[in-house]
Parts: sequence; C-alpha cells; structure tokens
Amino acid sequence: MINFRCILFNSVSAVCRQLVPALSATGTLSRCGSRGLPLHRTLFSSAARLQEAEATAGKDFSYFPPLPGQDSALRWGGKKFEELPIVQIKATYNNTHIQLSDSAGQSLVRTSCGTEGFKNIKKSTPIAAQTAGISAAGKATAKGVTFVRVVVKGLGPGRLSAIKGLTMGGLEVVSITDNTPVPHNGCRPRKARRM
Amino acid sequence: MSRHLRFIARTVMVQDGNVDAAYKTLNRVLTQDGIIDTVKRKRYFEKPCRERQRKNFENCKRIYHMEMARKIAFISRTNREDPWLGC
Repeated sequence: MINFRCILFNSVSAVCRQLVPALSATGTLSRCGSRGLPLHRTLFSSAARLQEAEATAGKDFSYFPPLPGQDSALRWGGKKFEELPIVQIKATYNNTHIQLSDSAGQSLVRTSCGTEGFKNIKKSTPIAAQTAGISAAGKATAKGVTFVRVVVKGLGPGRLSAIKGLTMGGLEVVSITDNTPVPHNGCRPRKARRM
Repeated sequence: MSRHLRFIARTVMVQDGNVDAAYKTLNRVLTQDGIIDTVKRKRYFEKPCRERQRKNFENCKRIYHMEMARKIAFISRTNREDPWLGC
C-alpha cells in the first residue's frame, strides 16, 4: 500500500517537473502521449479552440421554446415556432400511433404500427414504432413538410423509437413536448394485476 | 379543449438535430418532477392501505439515505486544518 502511494507520488511529481520547465521556457505545452511520443501544441491554438467552443456554446440556445407572446428571431424553413406542423405520437403499451397535422389542426398523415402490417404483439415493439415513423416521415416529405414539432403522449415501448424513425425518414425535429395525461385523481383505473 | 397553453410546459428544444440528447434531457426533467413515477403508478389502482404503506416506506427510506449521506460526508472530511494545533 505505502509503496504504491510512493510510486504514484513520484510519477506525479516527475510529470509536474516535466511540464513546468516546458511551460516557462518556450511557451509551448508539450504533452507526452501514452507511447511516450511528445505532442507539441502551441498555447495560442488551444486558447483559440477554447474561444471557439465558448462562442458556439453561448449562441443563445435555450431549452425553453419561444413563447407566442415573445418575439424570437428563430425561424425554421421561414416559419415561426407556432406555425410549424405538429406530430402527435401516442405511445400506448400495445401500439404506437403517429399523426401529423399542421398548426391549425388539419390532419395530413396518419400511420400506426397496425397500418404498417404488424399484428398483435409485434405492434408493441420499438421496431414497429420506428417503421411507422419512417413511413410517416416519407409521406410527410411527399407533402412538403420539413421541420416539425413532436408531442409524445404515453409511456410505451415506441416512445423514443418513433421519434428516431421520424428523423431517419428525413424530417427535422425541432422540439419534443410531453403531453402524457396525468389525472389529478380523476377516473379510477383498473384493479392491480396479481401475477 | 385543453385548459392549458400548449408547448410551454414539458417542452425541450432540440439543439443541432441531436434528438437523443433532447429526449434524455426531457426524460431527466420528467423524472425529477416525478411525472414518470406518477404515470407508472396510476396505471393500476392503488388501494389506500397500500398507498399509506408505500408512503411510510418511502419516508423511512428518505430518512435513512439522508442520514447515511451525512455520515459519509462527515467521515470523508480528511483534508482540513489540524483541530488540535497548539495542544
């Protein structure tokens, strides 16, 4: 135990002694790779990379959506957030329904795992939801839709894979909303299963 | 139809087309708000006696975990100034 700690301390101090003169003398940061080959990178380039990262990170991205009252400059395909079409994904425990409608509420595309040819237990799989998403995205792009907001309802197996399928099919997802119904003690659900 | 304004609560914007990260963020927010838990529990009816037992158990578990975390934090204070300096 004590020997291990000594070895560690020695190695750490050796590395520090290596770094300090390198920094002070030439102004370059030399880092030894795992194979012992020194990688020379100038301080200036690393500082420039850090500044770039900060600039892109601080690009005014907020996880909150632009509210209807606010005037935000974000546009997707020339449309404001409130005018983008909505994809409603209802992920039940036995099936997944996907319905695309425009911002006014007119339905454009409607697919589900059943319409894709899956039956019974195969409908309640993430793969079926992904196929439904891909087909919905294909039909939507045929109607000229690119950017879309997603509303998910329910905790089913196809919850994430339906959104994945939409992106795989070519639609751009702009935001994800969760609209799972949470009753404040309304209707009484069915009795507990005893298995 | 819906009594609340839509697309304000429980909404996450997708950054640079990274849908996975946005879904993870949404999931984390929902779990922290206790919504995923509530939905799973309300799938089947929970009798009042079972509900009281569960609440009691969760209370005890919370107290135990808080005390254990306090104990661990107390024991792992190793680097500090010598309290017996000068004795």
